[in-house]
Amino acid sequence: MSIIMALARKDLKVLFAEKSNLFWVFVFPGMYALFFGAVFSGAGDGPSNMRVVVVDEDGSDFSEAFVSRLRANEALAVLPRADANTPAKPIDRTDALERIRKGKVAAAVIIGEGFGEGFATWFDTSDPKLQIASDPGRQMEGAYLKGLLAQAQFETMGERFGDRDWMRGQMRSWRSEIADANDLGFAQSQVFLSFFDAMDSFLVDVNDNVYASGLDEGMLNIGNLSVSKEQTGESPQEGFQITFPQTILWGILMSVICFAVSIIKERMSGTFARVCIGPIGQSHILAGKGLACFVTSLFVVGMLFAGGKLIFKVQIGSVALFGLAATCTAVCFVGLMMLISTLGKTEESVTGAGMAIIMLMAMFGGAMLPLFVMPSWMQRISHISPVKWGIYAMEGAIWRQFSLAEMLLPCGILLAVGATFFALGVLMLRRARL
Amino acid sequence: MIEVTNLSKRFGAIVAVDDLSFSVQRGETFGLLGPNGAGKTTTISILCGLLRPDGGSVSLAGKTDPMRPEVRASLGVVPQTLALYGEISAQANLEFFGHINGLTGRQLKDRVAACLETAGLTQRHKSRVSTFSGGMKRRLNMVCSLLHDPDILLLDEPTVGVDPQSRNLIFDNIEQLKSQGRTIIYTTHYMEEAERLCDRVAIVDHGKILDLDTVENLMSKHGGPSHIEAEVEQPPANVKDLTQSLKVESLDLDGTMLRFQTPEPMQSLAALNQSGLRFRTIKVETTNLEDVFLNLTGRRLRD
Ligand SMILES: Nc1ncnc2c1ncn2[C@@H]1O[C@H](COP(=O)(O)OP(=O)(O)OP(=O)(O)O)[C@@H](O)[C@H]1O
Ligand SMILES: [Mg+2]
Repeated sequence: MSIIMALARKDLKVLFAEKSNLFWVFVFPGMYALFFGAVFSGAGDGPSNMRVVVVDEDGSDFSEAFVSRLRANEALAVLPRADANTPAKPIDRTDALERIRKGKVAAAVIIGEGFGEGFATWFDTSDPKLQIASDPGRQMEGAYLKGLLAQAQFETMGERFGDRDWMRGQMRSWRSEIADANDLGFAQSQVFLSFFDAMDSFLVDVNDNVYASGLDEGMLNIGNLSVSKEQTGESPQEGFQITFPQTILWGILMSVICFAVSIIKERMSGTFARVCIGPIGQSHILAGKGLACFVTSLFVVGMLFAGGKLIFKVQIGSVALFGLAATCTAVCFVGLMMLISTLGKTEESVTGAGMAIIMLMAMFGGAMLPLFVMPSWMQRISHISPVKWGIYAMEGAIWRQFSLAEMLLPCGILLAVGATFFALGVLMLRRARL
Repeated sequence: MIEVTNLSKRFGAIVAVDDLSFSVQRGETFGLLGPNGAGKTTTISILCGLLRPDGGSVSLAGKTDPMRPEVRASLGVVPQTLALYGEISAQANLEFFGHINGLTGRQLKDRVAACLETAGLTQRHKSRVSTFSGGMKRRLNMVCSLLHDPDILLLDEPTVGVDPQSRNLIFDNIEQLKSQGRTIIYTTHYMEEAERLCDRVAIVDHGKILDLDTVENLMSKHGGPSHIEAEVEQPPANVKDLTQSLKVESLDLDGTMLRFQTPEPMQSLAALNQSGLRFRTIKVETTNLEDVFLNLTGRRLRD
C-alpha cells in the first residue's frame, strides 16, 4: 500500500509541476462554470436591467397593475419612466418599435386593447393581447422577457384571486366562454369545468378572512411563484446548479487526459520501465497509476466543490450522494484513462486520440451544453456516453433529489463502464510491454 | 551469480539476441561490447524482466525468471535512456525510486543523501531535473539505481554522451562498487572503458557472442601485433642479430629510427634495452579491443 501511495504522490507532483495541467484541471472547469453558469442563470439573477418599453394600449386597471408589477421587477428597466410624483409619458407602438430597431432597448411589451377584460382573453391564442417585440439579435433576452411577463401576469392574477366577488364573476364568464369555445376538446373543457366547480365550492365554504389569509400564507399563492420553478417539478434553481455537474465532469475529464498523457510520457521516457524493474508486481504498478488518477480526480472534485460552495454558493441537495456520484464518476474515467493511454505510441497520438474521445463523450453527454437544450434524438444518443451518467448522478445529488435507490442506476452504469475500460486498458498495456 | 543460457529474442524479422550464453561470477565485472544494434540493451532488458525471451533462460543469484518481482530484489539497473522525472527535483526522483525499492523513513533519507553525494549533486538536490546538464542527468540516472545497494548491477552504457569530467566521476563510482565486491554487467561501445573496468568481455554482434575472454587474452588472440617506433641515440651495429633476438619478422631501420611489430611489446623493449641501445623516444601502439573487433568482424566498432 505504501508503494501505491508513493506512486500516487509522485504522479501528483509531476502532474502539478506542469502549469498547463493546472490550467486544464482547475481553471478551465472554473471558467466553464462561470461562463455557462451566467448564461443559464434563471430568473433570480438573469441579464440585469434589461431595457424594455411598455406600450399600454389597453389603459385598464388591470393593465396598470400589470405594468407596475413589471416596474417592480429588478431585472427590468421599464420605459417610460415613472415615479411617485411624475406620471409616465406614454410611448406609442411606432416609437417603441423604432427604439428597438436602433438598439436603444432590448424589447417592447405591447399590451393590447382588451387585456384587462378577463382571463379568457389570455387563453385565446388567435388574438394575443400581450405581445413582445424584440431585437432579432437578442433572442435570449426576448425569451427571458417572456418568462418575466408570465411571472408578472401570474402575480397580478394572484392579486385578483384575493377578491372573491371579482373571482365569482370571472368564473361565470369563464364557464360560458368554455362552453362556447369550439377549439377546446371535450376532455380539456371538462378539466376546466371541474376545476371551476371545485373553486366555486371553495369560495362558498370559506369565509372572507380565511380566504384572504389562506392566499397570503401561500396556499394558493401563485403570485410568488418564480418562472423557472413554474416550468417543471424538478428543475435546477439557478444557473450555477445547472452547470456545477458539468464543471465537476470537466475537472475529472481533464485530469484523466493529463494522466493518460503522463502514462505514455513515462513509457517513452523509460521511467515506466524503470519502475517496472523494481521489485514490485505489475498489478501494483497499474493499481498505483489508477489510484493516483483517482486521487487526483477526487482532489480536483474537492477543489471545485469548495470553489462552487464558496464562490458560487451552489446549493448541494445531498453532500453524501454527491460524494458517491463523484466517486463513481471518477472510477469510470480512471478506467477510461487506462484505455486512452494505450491508444497511441507517442504523446501526440495519445493526446489526440484522448481529446477526440473525451470531446465526443462530453458533447453527446451534455458536458458542453446541458442536455435539456438538445433535441430529443440527441438526448437519446446521450445514453451511450458515460459523461451523461456522471452528470445525471451529480444532478441527482444536487437538485434532482434522488434517493439512494435512484442513484444506483447511474452509479452502477459508471462503475461497470469504468471496470470494463480499466480491464481493457490493462490488457492492452500488458500486450504493449511484452 | 548470473547464468544466461541459450537466450534468444526476435522482434519480427530482426533477431536481436541469438542463442546467447555466458555466466558471470560473483564479484566479477563483465563487459558486453558491441556496435549499435548488437543486442546489448535487449539482453539487459531480458535480464531484468522487462522482456520475455523467446527461448533460453536466465538465473540471477540462483533464482530463475526475473519476471517474478522477488527475483529482481537484488538487482540494480542503470538504463541506457535517461529514465528520470524531469518535472521534479533530483531529491524527489531519488526518494521515489528509493520507495519503489522498498526503502522508507530514516534509511531512505540517508541513502538519498549518500547517493546525491556520490553523484556530486548535493548542491543541486532541490533543482528540477529538467534544468540539469547532460552529465548531471547521467550521474543521477546512475545513482537512482544504487539506492537499495543491490548485489547485482546491470549498467547499460552509463557514460553515453557525457563530458570527460562526468565520465571520470561515473568510472570512480563503478570502480568503487567493484572493489566492494558487486557483480556487474557493463555494456559499452567504448573499448577503453571495457579495458579499464572489465575482468572479462564478451564481444557481441548481431546478437551473437563472437568471443568471450579476459581483455588480455582477447587482445593476444585477435589483436595482432603492437607497433613500436623507437628513436635511438646510435643506430645498432647488427640489425640481423637484433631482429633474431627480438623474435620479430622484420625490423625497419631509418637513420636512428627503429620500427617493428611484435605481439609482446614489453619483452621486446626490455630486450632492446639489454642489447645496449639508448632510447631518445619510444612510441608503442599496443593492440586494443578496437583491433580485436576489427579482426573478428572485419568492421570497425563505430563507423
Ligand atoms: N522494441 C523493439 N521492437 C523492435 N525492434 C527492436 C526493439 N528493441 C530492439 N529492437 C531491435 O533489436 C536490435 C538490438 O537492439 P538493442 O537495443 O538491443 O541494441 P544495442 O546493442 O543496445 O544497441 P545500442 O548500442 O545502439 O544501444 C536492433 O536491431 C533493434 O532495432
Ligand atoms: Mg543499447
